[in-house]
Amino acid sequence: MRAVWAIARTTFIEAIQQPVAFLMYLFSVALTLLVPVFQFHRFSEDGRLARDSGLSCMLVFGMALAVCTAGRSVSKEIADGTAASVLGKPVPRPVFVCSKWLGCALVTAMFCLGQLAALMIAERASAHYVLREDFNGYATDPISLILALGGLGLALLAGAARHFFGRHRFGASVFFGVLYSQVAVLLFSGFYNRLGQFYPVHGEAACCEHHAAGEAAHALFYHPELNLRVIPAALLVFFGLLVFAALGTALSTRMRTGTVLAVCAGVLFTGLAGDTLFNGSSLLSFRGAVSGVLPDLQNFWLCDAIAHGGRISPGYVWLAGGYALTVCTVFLLAGCMAFQNRDVG
Amino acid sequence: MSNNDVSDLSQCPIVIRGLRKTFLDFWRRPTVEAVKGLDLTVRRGEVYGFLGPNGSGKSTTIKMILGLLRPTAGTIRVLGEAPDSVKAKRKIGYLPEISHLHPFLTPRETLMYYADLFGMPKREAKRRVAELIDMVDLAAAADRAVGGFSKGMARRVGVAQALINAPELLILDEPTSGLDPIGTREVKDLVRMLAQGGVTVLMTSHLLADVEDVCDRVAIVSHGVLQAEGTIGELLRQPDVVRFGVEGLDDESAAKLREMIERHVGHPVAQDYPAISLEAFFLQVVAKEGKTREFKLAPYLERSDK
Ligand SMILES: Nc1ncnc2c1ncn2[C@@H]1O[C@H](COP(=O)(O)OP(=O)(O)OP(=O)(O)O)[C@@H](O)[C@H]1O
Ligand SMILES: [Mg+2]
Repeated sequence: MRAVWAIARTTFIEAIQQPVAFLMYLFSVALTLLVPVFQFHRFSEDGRLARDSGLSCMLVFGMALAVCTAGRSVSKEIADGTAASVLGKPVPRPVFVCSKWLGCALVTAMFCLGQLAALMIAERASAHYVLREDFNGYATDPISLILALGGLGLALLAGAARHFFGRHRFGASVFFGVLYSQVAVLLFSGFYNRLGQFYPVHGEAACCEHHAAGEAAHALFYHPELNLRVIPAALLVFFGLLVFAALGTALSTRMRTGTVLAVCAGVLFTGLAGDTLFNGSSLLSFRGAVSGVLPDLQNFWLCDAIAHGGRISPGYVWLAGGYALTVCTVFLLAGCMAFQNRDVG
Repeated sequence: MSNNDVSDLSQCPIVIRGLRKTFLDFWRRPTVEAVKGLDLTVRRGEVYGFLGPNGSGKSTTIKMILGLLRPTAGTIRVLGEAPDSVKAKRKIGYLPEISHLHPFLTPRETLMYYADLFGMPKREAKRRVAELIDMVDLAAAADRAVGGFSKGMARRVGVAQALINAPELLILDEPTSGLDPIGTREVKDLVRMLAQGGVTVLMTSHLLADVEDVCDRVAIVSHGVLQAEGTIGELLRQPDVVRFGVEGLDDESAAKLREMIERHVGHPVAQDYPAISLEAFFLQVVAKEGKTREFKLAPYLERSDK
């Protein structure tokens, strides 16, 4: 068990060391946070644009990160010879493959967490209609945005400082810096309202619009004005990314990174377009085979379900989780089998 | 040259019979036949030198012993188990031909990583790592990333990682490549000390003088075929040659003596003035500068409870 954790951790550290990892993270979070700033029109629903683009960023950049990390996980170790060193120790090959996937899953999880925080900040910060006795109109929350964007800058600075003073790894520091800063801003934003007033706010504006008059009498110190319904949607995206991490890991036992990326892109495309492509096709069996073998990404993309106050039921999340786990298991099993007789050295 | 003189094969740490390895390309066409029917037996407690020219299949054989490469044909038993047996690998230490290390880890982290792969308890691992770092003389660089290490320094990390589990069987692929004469001497001392403690060692090297110094038996392969095998004494002794070494003999007496011997044996006799080896000279010079230290085995390797 300790071996699993050691390999996963080393994979994780190596992955976040790669400039592409923290750059992708920074870019994705920054893009998400900038949406409310450059939002010139709004959909029928406040904050929807920020939320949807945040989830899209999570999917697109997360996919790139997961597949890049997984695609080089095994092949790079074989090419570098470190796989030979590890397999010369008492580590069964399947344990090695699964631990590599676990490392990639860890990277993906860290990415999704920070990205989720950023998109919740962005959603809260984008213009919402506020109707109160002392305020009536659209209010944005620039404080959270400034703090979150400043957090990104701070993460870079902290990474440089840690590298300069303590020889700590820059990439890893920035990666964690982005995560910590976004989560910290998210938690901190509960101390003030959209109008930038710190709680407890006295007078008529003491409380946000949802609260009954009776409750307003209580002094309120902490009230996160967040849309928690986005969490299951993000969780589903995370599941989808795990599937692709498993696919990438499995492929990288036999292919080079470039080939893995190409194949993953192909699977992604077919998985997304599969329904349209093969719809009404007379090759019923072919369509069945494709949808049976390829992971159906539609299952993990439920952006529309949370629009207009909609919810994703916990049952569905469990179901999707089970589906993701099954597909991951199948991919990893195939990967282990492909790796079992591969020459390493 | 045969292995049949070994009475109980099950007691031998490495038994190889009829080993073949043909590398295949992407389309599974054969490219190189690296090993062609190799028989090899390494006995318990001996230091076995595995020699041969470049590309003769030494590293390939070693990788097959460790289960990294799959043999095309033939059988391998390592410590009584199949090559990829986890049970056998718990007792094996392996130093690859090139020290492949994660460039972003420090020596300490690297060794802790390998200790983790053995599932070693943290405290024990920490102690062993500290002792090993001391042993391979890397204390000054223990917290720098190995990516920036010189070849010899990386090699030292490699040697240390091979010993983390106090192995019963140590497989060293060119352990001295890239090491300075002091490091080379230390590796030789290390091998000798471990062998005294009952560890079986299989090593390859192109430095034949080193092999001669430490190995009990050697095998020479060429083009994947075993060409010669035996103890150093057996292979190198010239039974009909005698050499004297005399100190403080003047030229005149030397000439007289030579004449006498030549008359006795009836043909000319070679006479030379031996010099000390460059290695000995190097070590003398560095010793004067105070750069050498006495090599000490990591204490945990000396304990007999392994
Ligand atoms: N992964 C591989 N794929 C294809 N051919 C290989 C591979 N590894 C080794 N070979 C070939 O097998 C032969 C033996 O190589 P090997 O590395 O075992 O030689 P060696 O005896 O260790 O040589 P050296 O003294 O240079 O280390 C060589 O011809 C080499 O080109
Ligand atoms: Mg070699």
